[in-house]
Amino acid sequence: MISRTSHSRKRVVSALAAVALLFTIATSVLAGNELNGRWTFRITIPEAPASTTSRTFTVTLDVLPRGESLHGRANLTDEAGRTVGAAWRQVGKDISIAYELPCPGDGPCASLILQGRVKGGGVLIKKGSVIVMWDTANNRNPALYDTSNGTFRGDRVE
Amino acid sequence: MLISAKSVSLVVIVLTMAAGSVETSTARMQTERSLAGEWIVTSSPINGQNFSPKGLTLGFPDRDMVFEQQGDLRIGVVLREDAGQNVRPLGVWRVTGDQFSTTFQLWCPDADGPCGSIVMRGQFVRDDKISGTMTAFFNVLDDNTPTGYDTWTFSFAGNRVAPSATGGSN
Repeated sequence: MISRTSHSRKRVVSALAAVALLFTIATSVLAGNELNGRWTFRITIPEAPASTTSRTFTVTLDVLPRGESLHGRANLTDEAGRTVGAAWRQVGKDISIAYELPCPGDGPCASLILQGRVKGGGVLIKKGSVIVMWDTANNRNPALYDTSNGTFRGDRVE
Repeated sequence: MLISAKSVSLVVIVLTMAAGSVETSTARMQTERSLAGEWIVTSSPINGQNFSPKGLTLGFPDRDMVFEQQGDLRIGVVLREDAGQNVRPLGVWRVTGDQFSTTFQLWCPDADGPCGSIVMRGQFVRDDKISGTMTAFFNVLDDNTPTGYDTWTFSFAGNRVAPSATGGSN
Protein backbone atom coordinates (compact mmCIF):
# COMPACT_ATOMS: atom_id res chain seq x y z
CA MET A 1 0.00 0.00 0.00
CA ILE A 2 2.73 2.34 0.95
CA SER A 3 4.59 1.36 -2.13
CA ARG A 4 1.49 1.80 -4.34
CA THR A 5 0.80 5.29 -2.90
CA SER A 6 4.37 6.35 -3.46
CA HIS A 7 4.18 5.09 -7.04
CA SER A 8 0.96 7.07 -7.64
CA ARG A 9 2.52 10.20 -6.21
CA LYS A 10 5.48 9.77 -8.50
CA ARG A 11 3.10 9.48 -11.46
CA VAL A 12 1.21 12.62 -10.46
CA VAL A 13 4.44 14.53 -9.93
CA SER A 14 5.76 13.34 -13.30
CA ALA A 15 2.50 14.32 -15.02
CA LEU A 16 2.53 17.76 -13.41
CA ALA A 17 6.16 18.23 -14.37
CA ALA A 18 5.37 17.25 -17.95
CA VAL A 19 2.44 19.68 -18.09
CA ALA A 20 4.60 22.44 -16.63
CA LEU A 21 7.33 21.70 -19.17
CA LEU A 22 4.85 21.74 -22.06
CA PHE A 23 3.38 25.02 -20.79
CA THR A 24 6.84 26.54 -20.56
CA ILE A 25 7.76 25.39 -24.05
CA ALA A 26 4.45 26.60 -25.51
CA THR A 27 4.83 30.01 -23.85
CA SER A 28 8.39 30.26 -25.07
CA VAL A 29 7.38 29.39 -28.63
CA LEU A 30 4.41 31.77 -28.65
CA ALA A 31 6.41 34.68 -27.24
CA GLY A 32 9.59 33.66 -29.01
CA ASN A 33 9.26 35.94 -32.01
CA GLU A 34 8.94 39.08 -29.93
CA LEU A 35 12.12 41.12 -30.09
CA ASN A 36 12.24 42.23 -26.47
CA GLY A 37 15.21 40.94 -24.51
CA ARG A 38 18.96 41.31 -24.78
CA TRP A 39 20.69 40.89 -28.13
CA THR A 40 24.10 41.32 -29.67
CA PHE A 41 24.11 42.72 -33.19
CA ARG A 42 27.13 42.45 -35.46
CA ILE A 43 26.77 45.28 -37.96
CA THR A 44 28.76 45.84 -41.15
CA ILE A 45 28.54 49.18 -42.96
CA PRO A 46 30.89 51.25 -45.13
CA GLU A 47 33.48 53.27 -43.22
CA ALA A 48 32.27 56.46 -44.89
CA PRO A 49 29.99 57.63 -47.69
CA ALA A 50 31.01 56.07 -51.02
CA SER A 51 33.76 54.09 -49.30
CA THR A 52 34.47 50.58 -50.55
CA THR A 53 36.01 49.70 -47.20
CA SER A 54 33.64 48.28 -44.63
CA ARG A 55 33.80 48.26 -40.90
CA THR A 56 32.17 45.73 -38.63
CA PHE A 57 31.22 46.47 -35.06
CA THR A 58 29.21 44.83 -32.33
CA VAL A 59 26.50 46.48 -30.26
CA THR A 60 24.41 45.18 -27.39
CA LEU A 61 20.70 45.89 -27.49
CA ASP A 62 18.49 45.88 -24.43
CA VAL A 63 15.09 45.80 -26.09
CA LEU A 64 12.33 46.92 -23.77
CA PRO A 65 8.86 45.35 -24.03
CA ARG A 66 6.46 47.39 -26.14
CA GLY A 67 3.33 46.29 -24.31
CA GLU A 68 0.24 46.96 -26.41
CA SER A 69 2.04 49.52 -28.57
CA LEU A 70 3.21 48.93 -32.11
CA HIS A 71 6.53 50.50 -31.17
CA GLY A 72 9.07 49.94 -28.43
CA ARG A 73 12.27 51.44 -27.13
CA ALA A 74 15.70 49.92 -26.81
CA ASN A 75 19.02 50.91 -25.31
CA LEU A 76 21.97 50.26 -27.55
CA THR A 77 25.55 50.09 -26.23
CA ASP A 78 28.56 50.04 -28.52
CA GLU A 79 32.00 48.54 -27.96
CA ALA A 80 33.25 51.81 -26.46
CA GLY A 81 30.53 51.67 -23.82
CA ARG A 82 28.46 54.49 -25.33
CA THR A 83 24.73 53.99 -24.90
CA VAL A 84 22.11 55.57 -27.13
CA GLY A 85 18.39 55.07 -27.57
CA ALA A 86 16.71 53.15 -30.36
CA ALA A 87 13.13 52.78 -31.56
CA TRP A 88 11.76 49.50 -32.86
CA ARG A 89 8.64 48.04 -34.41
CA GLN A 90 7.66 44.51 -35.28
CA VAL A 91 5.04 42.86 -37.44
CA GLY A 92 5.10 39.08 -37.15
CA LYS A 93 8.73 38.10 -37.52
CA ASP A 94 9.67 41.30 -39.35
CA ILE A 95 11.48 43.86 -37.21
CA SER A 96 12.83 47.34 -37.82
CA ILE A 97 15.16 49.19 -35.48
CA ALA A 98 16.24 52.81 -35.92
CA TYR A 99 19.03 54.57 -34.09
CA GLU A 100 21.51 57.38 -34.39
CA LEU A 101 25.11 56.24 -34.61
CA PRO A 102 27.10 57.45 -31.59
CA CYS A 103 29.52 59.93 -33.10
CA PRO A 104 32.55 60.92 -31.07
CA GLY A 105 33.45 63.49 -33.71
CA ASP A 106 36.34 61.72 -35.41
CA GLY A 107 34.42 60.41 -38.38
CA PRO A 108 31.30 60.77 -40.51
CA CYS A 109 28.06 60.31 -38.63
CA ALA A 110 24.86 58.61 -39.75
CA SER A 111 21.41 57.32 -38.94
CA LEU A 112 20.89 53.57 -39.15
CA ILE A 113 17.72 51.62 -39.95
CA LEU A 114 18.07 47.89 -39.38
CA GLN A 115 15.54 45.48 -40.87
CA GLY A 116 15.36 41.73 -40.48
CA ARG A 117 13.35 38.66 -39.52
CA VAL A 118 13.47 36.99 -36.14
CA LYS A 119 14.15 33.29 -36.64
CA GLY A 120 15.21 30.19 -34.80
CA GLY A 121 12.34 30.41 -32.33
CA GLY A 122 13.17 34.01 -31.52
CA VAL A 123 16.91 33.78 -30.94
CA LEU A 124 18.41 34.75 -34.26
CA ILE A 125 18.24 37.43 -36.96
CA LYS A 126 20.17 36.29 -40.00
CA LYS A 127 21.06 38.38 -43.04
CA GLY A 128 19.50 41.57 -41.74
CA SER A 129 19.82 44.68 -43.90
CA VAL A 130 20.91 48.16 -42.88
CA ILE A 131 20.05 51.50 -44.46
CA VAL A 132 22.69 54.09 -43.63
CA MET A 133 21.89 57.77 -44.10
CA TRP A 134 25.01 59.86 -43.64
CA ASP A 135 25.23 63.47 -42.54
CA THR A 136 26.79 64.57 -45.82
CA ALA A 137 24.42 66.33 -48.21
CA ASN A 138 24.07 64.93 -51.72
CA ASN A 139 21.59 66.51 -54.14
CA ARG A 140 21.89 63.56 -56.52
CA ASN A 141 20.54 61.13 -53.93
CA PRO A 142 16.73 60.99 -53.52
CA ALA A 143 17.33 61.21 -49.77
CA LEU A 144 19.27 64.47 -50.41
CA TYR A 145 22.04 62.96 -48.27
CA ASP A 146 24.52 60.19 -48.93
CA THR A 147 23.17 56.73 -48.27
CA SER A 148 24.73 53.29 -48.06
CA ASN A 149 23.66 49.76 -47.40
CA GLY A 150 24.95 47.38 -44.79
CA THR A 151 24.18 44.07 -43.16
CA PHE A 152 23.76 42.75 -39.65
CA ARG A 153 23.27 39.57 -37.70
CA GLY A 154 21.52 39.42 -34.35
CA ASP A 155 21.91 36.81 -31.63
CA ARG A 156 19.73 36.75 -28.57
CA VAL A 157 21.72 36.79 -25.34
CA GLU A 158 18.78 36.70 -22.93
CA MET B 1 54.94 107.00 -35.85
CA LEU B 2 55.68 105.21 -32.61
CA ILE B 3 52.26 106.16 -31.23
CA SER B 4 50.64 105.04 -34.44
CA ALA B 5 52.31 101.62 -34.25
CA LYS B 6 51.19 101.25 -30.63
CA SER B 7 47.66 102.20 -31.60
CA VAL B 8 47.63 99.66 -34.39
CA SER B 9 48.94 96.98 -32.04
CA LEU B 10 46.29 97.86 -29.49
CA VAL B 11 43.53 97.70 -32.10
CA VAL B 12 44.80 94.31 -33.33
CA ILE B 13 44.89 92.94 -29.77
CA VAL B 14 41.38 94.22 -29.02
CA LEU B 15 40.02 92.81 -32.28
CA THR B 16 41.71 89.46 -31.65
CA MET B 17 40.26 89.29 -28.15
CA ALA B 18 36.83 90.28 -29.45
CA ALA B 19 36.96 87.64 -32.21
CA GLY B 20 37.99 85.01 -29.68
CA SER B 21 35.14 86.06 -27.44
CA VAL B 22 32.63 85.86 -30.30
CA GLU B 23 33.92 82.45 -31.37
CA THR B 24 33.71 81.16 -27.82
CA SER B 25 30.24 82.58 -27.46
CA THR B 26 29.13 81.04 -30.76
CA ALA B 27 30.61 77.67 -29.85
CA ARG B 28 28.86 77.80 -26.49
CA MET B 29 25.57 78.66 -28.15
CA GLN B 30 26.00 75.78 -30.60
CA THR B 31 26.78 73.24 -27.92
CA GLU B 32 23.75 74.38 -25.97
CA ARG B 33 21.31 73.58 -28.78
CA SER B 34 18.82 70.90 -27.89
CA LEU B 35 15.66 69.47 -29.36
CA ALA B 36 14.31 68.67 -25.92
CA GLY B 37 10.80 70.06 -25.67
CA GLU B 38 7.60 70.08 -27.68
CA TRP B 39 7.51 71.16 -31.31
CA ILE B 40 4.84 71.70 -33.92
CA VAL B 41 6.30 70.61 -37.23
CA THR B 42 4.78 71.41 -40.58
CA SER B 43 5.90 69.73 -43.76
CA SER B 44 5.60 70.52 -47.44
CA PRO B 45 6.54 68.88 -50.72
CA ILE B 46 9.76 69.60 -52.58
CA ASN B 47 9.27 70.37 -56.27
CA GLY B 48 5.65 69.25 -56.07
CA GLN B 49 6.53 65.68 -55.10
CA ASN B 50 3.46 64.72 -53.07
CA PHE B 51 4.12 60.99 -53.36
CA SER B 52 7.07 58.63 -53.33
CA PRO B 53 8.16 57.11 -56.65
CA LYS B 54 6.10 54.03 -55.71
CA GLY B 55 3.02 56.14 -54.98
CA LEU B 56 3.19 56.27 -51.18
CA THR B 57 2.63 59.39 -49.11
CA LEU B 58 2.29 60.50 -45.51
CA GLY B 59 0.38 63.63 -46.44
CA PHE B 60 1.47 66.94 -45.00
CA PRO B 61 -0.31 67.37 -41.67
CA ASP B 62 1.12 69.34 -38.77
CA ARG B 63 2.88 67.02 -36.34
CA ASP B 64 3.10 67.47 -32.57
CA MET B 65 6.52 66.11 -31.61
CA VAL B 66 8.00 65.79 -28.15
CA PHE B 67 11.70 65.21 -27.64
CA GLU B 68 13.17 64.17 -24.31
CA GLN B 69 16.59 63.50 -22.94
CA GLN B 70 17.31 61.12 -20.10
CA GLY B 71 21.06 61.12 -19.60
CA ASP B 72 22.57 59.99 -22.88
CA LEU B 73 19.26 58.59 -24.11
CA ARG B 74 17.52 60.95 -26.49
CA ILE B 75 14.06 59.85 -27.46
CA GLY B 76 11.19 61.36 -29.36
CA VAL B 77 7.51 60.70 -29.73
CA VAL B 78 4.93 61.99 -32.18
CA LEU B 79 1.61 62.69 -30.50
CA ARG B 80 -1.04 61.43 -32.90
CA GLU B 81 -4.25 61.95 -30.94
CA ASP B 82 -5.85 62.65 -34.31
CA ALA B 83 -5.29 58.98 -35.20
CA GLY B 84 -5.88 57.51 -31.74
CA GLN B 85 -5.03 58.09 -28.11
CA ASN B 86 -2.36 55.38 -28.09
CA VAL B 87 -0.85 56.22 -31.46
CA ARG B 88 2.62 57.41 -30.46
CA PRO B 89 5.33 56.74 -33.05
CA LEU B 90 8.76 56.57 -31.43
CA GLY B 91 12.11 57.91 -32.51
CA VAL B 92 15.57 58.99 -31.42
CA TRP B 93 17.65 62.12 -32.01
CA ARG B 94 21.06 63.73 -31.75
CA VAL B 95 22.44 67.25 -32.10
CA THR B 96 25.82 68.36 -33.42
CA GLY B 97 26.40 72.10 -33.19
CA ASP B 98 23.35 73.66 -34.79
CA GLN B 99 22.61 70.57 -36.90
CA PHE B 100 20.38 67.75 -35.75
CA SER B 101 19.19 64.36 -36.87
CA THR B 102 16.20 62.33 -35.75
CA THR B 103 14.98 58.92 -36.86
CA PHE B 104 11.43 57.68 -36.35
CA GLN B 105 9.55 54.50 -37.03
CA LEU B 106 6.32 54.88 -38.96
CA TRP B 107 3.12 53.74 -37.28
CA CYS B 108 1.57 51.04 -39.43
CA PRO B 109 -1.55 49.41 -37.95
CA ASP B 110 -2.19 47.52 -41.19
CA ALA B 111 0.23 44.63 -40.94
CA ASP B 112 -0.23 43.83 -44.62
CA GLY B 113 0.44 47.36 -45.85
CA PRO B 114 3.73 49.12 -46.51
CA CYS B 115 5.65 50.64 -43.62
CA GLY B 116 8.95 52.40 -43.17
CA SER B 117 11.13 54.79 -41.23
CA ILE B 118 11.71 58.55 -41.32
CA VAL B 119 15.01 60.37 -41.02
CA MET B 120 14.85 64.11 -40.31
CA ARG B 121 17.90 66.24 -41.04
CA GLY B 122 17.82 69.88 -40.10
CA GLN B 123 19.30 72.87 -38.40
CA PHE B 124 18.32 75.36 -35.75
CA VAL B 125 17.26 78.67 -37.23
CA ARG B 126 16.91 79.86 -33.64
CA ASP B 127 16.70 77.99 -30.36
CA ASP B 128 12.96 77.69 -30.90
CA LYS B 129 12.84 77.28 -34.67
CA ILE B 130 14.07 74.44 -36.88
CA SER B 131 13.96 73.55 -40.55
CA GLY B 132 15.22 70.80 -42.80
CA THR B 133 14.16 67.75 -44.75
CA MET B 134 12.45 64.49 -43.90
CA THR B 135 13.27 61.34 -45.83
CA ALA B 136 10.94 58.36 -45.80
CA PHE B 137 12.46 54.96 -46.48
CA PHE B 138 9.49 52.70 -47.20
CA ASN B 139 9.94 48.95 -47.00
CA VAL B 140 8.94 48.70 -50.65
CA LEU B 141 11.71 47.70 -53.02
CA ASP B 142 12.78 50.19 -55.66
CA ASP B 143 15.68 49.37 -57.95
CA ASN B 144 16.05 53.01 -58.92
CA THR B 145 17.29 54.22 -55.54
CA PRO B 146 20.77 53.75 -54.06
CA THR B 147 19.40 51.88 -51.03
CA GLY B 148 17.01 49.74 -53.06
CA TYR B 149 14.02 51.04 -51.08
CA ASP B 150 11.30 53.46 -52.10
CA THR B 151 12.62 56.84 -50.95
CA TRP B 152 10.74 60.11 -50.65
CA THR B 153 12.02 63.43 -49.30
CA PHE B 154 10.07 66.54 -48.31
CA SER B 155 10.81 69.64 -46.30
CA PHE B 156 9.74 70.69 -42.83
CA ALA B 157 9.79 73.65 -40.48
CA GLY B 158 9.15 73.51 -36.77
CA ASN B 159 8.46 75.83 -33.87
CA ARG B 160 9.08 74.98 -30.25
CA VAL B 161 5.83 75.36 -28.34
CA ALA B 162 7.03 74.14 -24.94
CA PRO B 163 10.42 73.76 -23.29
CA SER B 164 11.78 70.48 -22.07
CA ALA B 165 9.91 69.13 -19.06
CA THR B 166 13.12 67.50 -17.80
CA GLY B 167 15.34 70.44 -18.62
CA GLY B 168 17.54 68.19 -20.73
CA SER B 169 20.34 69.53 -22.85
CA ASN B 170 22.74 68.11 -25.33
